[in-house]
Amino acid sequence: MKRAANCLLLFTSAMLAATLLSGCKPSSTSHTGSDTVRLAVIPKGTSHEFWKSVHFGAQKAATEIGDVEIIWRGPVVESDTGSQIEVVKDMITMGVDGIVLAPNQKGGLVDAVDEAIGEDIPVVIFDSGLDDGPKIVSYVATNNFKGGQMAGDAMAKAIGEKGNVILLRYLAGSESTEQREEGFLDAIAKYPDITVVSSDEYAGDNATKAKEKADQLIQLHGETLDGMFAVCEPNANGTLEAIKNAGMAGKIKLIAFDPSDALIKALRDGHCHGIVLQDPVQMGYLSVISLVDSINGKSIPEFQSTGEYLATQDNMDGEPIKQLLKPELME
Amino acid sequence: MSDRPTPNHRARWSVLLRHGPSLALLFIIALFALLDWQFGSGRFFSSRNAGVIVNSAALVAVPALGMTMIIIAGGIDLSAGTALTLCGTVMAIAFRDYTIPADQAGAATWIALALALGLGVGILCGLINGLIISLSEMVPFIVTLGTMTIFLGVGQVLAEESTVYPQNTHLPDWLRYLCYTGSNTDYYWFSFLPIPSSALIAIVLGIAVALLMHFTVFGRNIVAIGSNPLTARLCGIRVGLTTTWVYALAGVFVGLGALLYFANVKNGNPSDGTGKELEIIAAVVLGGGSLSGGRGSILGTIVGALIIKTISSGCTMLSIPNTYTHIIIGVIIIIAVLIDGLRNGKPKWLFARLASG
Repeated sequence: MKRAANCLLLFTSAMLAATLLSGCKPSSTSHTGSDTVRLAVIPKGTSHEFWKSVHFGAQKAATEIGDVEIIWRGPVVESDTGSQIEVVKDMITMGVDGIVLAPNQKGGLVDAVDEAIGEDIPVVIFDSGLDDGPKIVSYVATNNFKGGQMAGDAMAKAIGEKGNVILLRYLAGSESTEQREEGFLDAIAKYPDITVVSSDEYAGDNATKAKEKADQLIQLHGETLDGMFAVCEPNANGTLEAIKNAGMAGKIKLIAFDPSDALIKALRDGHCHGIVLQDPVQMGYLSVISLVDSINGKSIPEFQSTGEYLATQDNMDGEPIKQLLKPELME
Repeated sequence: MSDRPTPNHRARWSVLLRHGPSLALLFIIALFALLDWQFGSGRFFSSRNAGVIVNSAALVAVPALGMTMIIIAGGIDLSAGTALTLCGTVMAIAFRDYTIPADQAGAATWIALALALGLGVGILCGLINGLIISLSEMVPFIVTLGTMTIFLGVGQVLAEESTVYPQNTHLPDWLRYLCYTGSNTDYYWFSFLPIPSSALIAIVLGIAVALLMHFTVFGRNIVAIGSNPLTARLCGIRVGLTTTWVYALAGVFVGLGALLYFANVKNGNPSDGTGKELEIIAAVVLGGGSLSGGRGSILGTIVGALIIKTISSGCTMLSIPNTYTHIIIGVIIIIAVLIDGLRNGKPKWLFARLASG
């Protein structure tokens, strides 16, 4: 018990010392100079190429404006909400001038963002929405509903405005993909000769699960099926595999959302009939521009769309689609 | 000065080693404070960061208290992480479907029931582990490896393979701000003491477990079982029963850890738990817990959790990439265990050479 008491004493005194010393410390110890604007950009994870493109865009904006430092920091544990909250708190501690954040979960990050705003640090949200509450500067993202509508129209065109189609959903509770799903159904409703034979199946968050689900659906609807819409990249990769395995490539028209190497190849081969694209570079770029503008006192629109595009076999080699299929990456 | 360690030397070394984890923590804090002051933003050594670190450490330390007891008893619990998020998921479901808005009359009863439900699930998980281990006499590593995926699966079934969002208006303010680390003193339990409530909970629980381990027969029995189960049995200790109790009690801390987790992320995602058990075990091991049983310290475990979170915070402040953070933490765990081994005369070849030369 004595040694425990000793250790406790040691630790408490260290923490006390930290508290006291920091109190006396002048706030001008920053070594980066007072006129440099330091912005934290926090993605959902760091390994996916999408985020590397966002990083490229953010850095591009920083270089253009000048005197802006980008602190790029993803959660230590990929896609872990608790880990992302820690990063937001660390950035508040570092006293950054602003935070750009893609929240892992719309509800989980609300209080962390509130804490940042409480310390007078402005926050821009990008890619995925945050629950209502905190007074953020702006929400910069793809208009996913419109993207879904474009997918619906592309589907109608691919199957000649009549036939049976399937909507393969992603996960319940994911806001961005739900918007795409609703957009797709909204667009398809305009075509009286198109029937949605299945729209309540969730493909899950990886290609293997998506393939299983697509296999079952193709078994079930097989010969009468004309088209499938997969709402995100892993989902579309799995569906593409399932269609190929069933020997229906080209017969069942596939519309995807977000590119991958396999999907780009399928688009060229005529196994995929349209990919709706987002612009991650623009997302990073616009987020940083908006945050700096807001710090300089300009007013920023509540929601800013970074655009959505449709890649087809015909336009895939021209600009801007070629660039969007293979966006620049920050290495 | 002779080459051979004299008793006096040995005593001095053992004092150093005994305080090993705490000294290591101080060293790490000093190191990062210096580096950050030189190369970083100079904010690492601040009261705000102390608050942030003790809050994140509390999230690991609370379930690690139970793990410490298990490890002292010679066991291990790989299911702690998924059991924790299973409890969190259950709480989230309760706050989504079965509670009323927090500002309505009678809400307190529902809130207490929802939290008790989560805690109950934690105890149940621990009890299942304990019963299987003591009745079947299987190795705890394998049993909890099995229950780890079982708890994950059960959580996913309950959450319908998704994330469960509670109704925000149903959460009481004290729960919302359990992990608050900002500068608004109204959100802390004691407005004159801006320490995150989560850390206060961890400290109180830590003291309770330390008292239990030092001053009760049950605590002594745990150490006896971990040191040598056969001797313990010969001394009349009911090994199976005590083991079951240890796991069930650890389940209480998993449930309380889940409360903090839920208060932090405000939703329940069963798959968040995979990997958390390793962080929990690492905290115990860094604090001097021995996986061969019989040894471990409550204070050490809390210090271990602080070490992990101090390193991860320091790396963020210094903009050291996450990939290197993982490597640094791994290296420190191995060094800690190595130093701990020196205290017990390991590695044998080194000591044999020292004695002969």
